[in-house]
Amino acid sequence: MLTLRSLLRPTRRVHAHCDIPCGVYDPEQARIEAESCLRIIEKHDASDDALFRARCIHVKEERAELVKHHLDVLWHDYFKPEHLEKYPDLHETFWKATKQASKVKQSLDAGAARELLTMIDTIDDMWKSTGGLEKTRVNGRPS
Amino acid sequence: MRPLALLLGLAAGAGAALLALRRLDAVEVTGASMAPALLPRDRLLVESLTYARRRPRPGEVVLATDPREPGRELIKRVAAVSGAQAQLLGDHPAESTDSRTFGDVPLEAIRWRVALRYWPPLRFGGIGSTAGTGEPWVVAG
Repeated sequence: MLTLRSLLRPTRRVHAHCDIPCGVYDPEQARIEAESCLRIIEKHDASDDALFRARCIHVKEERAELVKHHLDVLWHDYFKPEHLEKYPDLHETFWKATKQASKVKQSLDAGAARELLTMIDTIDDMWKSTGGLEKTRVNGRPS
Repeated sequence: MRPLALLLGLAAGAGAALLALRRLDAVEVTGASMAPALLPRDRLLVESLTYARRRPRPGEVVLATDPREPGRELIKRVAAVSGAQAQLLGDHPAESTDSRTFGDVPLEAIRWRVALRYWPPLRFGGIGSTAGTGEPWVVAG
């Protein structure tokens, strides 16, 4: 029996492919998106244009989602088991930071956005002290 | 409503016939080299009628046999066609292995053209003939 479901099922995978993980991991990527969230919340609060405020909410949610994504990538791709030995609270830190990003996504609380920035800075310290800066940033890039 | 029902019936019949003839197929995307136009897990309808009668054109999204691993099919955008070869590039260059690495591919390697995306339903539709619109989409790792 030819069902709609069987018609819609893909017959094969096609590869939008990349050979090489580039090895560039940098908490700044998450931080910029988080800064964006904070500024958008401030702009939202300062405006009385309903349409603009709606756009602020929409874009802020997108940015907060990107924060989560960038933190996730750092967490599972940059940090290695030996880093966990050095920072036993690594998982806890990432878990809390990504939860905080969810909070920023769900709310218009500027305080929550500031707290998120602080948490990303903690991760940034871990990243720096495990040599992330030297491993990742291309020569000459200011820290 | 009768003409509409007839039209839908005809379209479904034609689709089923093309499926049976292996001229129409459904595939799933893996990898991010075509972001933001195509994202991992997008499902696409592909057809092999077009390239049976003409060459691929720049801007079209195609399936091509990987020149370095013939068992694998790549999905890329045609950047240029010259002679019997096509240059294939990913929309997201930092995340793409393409003609910059493996060179131009012979036109015989390209049989399938991407017709449309049918999944996820909210992004149903064509893929567009130019590269992504600059939507922020960064995938590291």
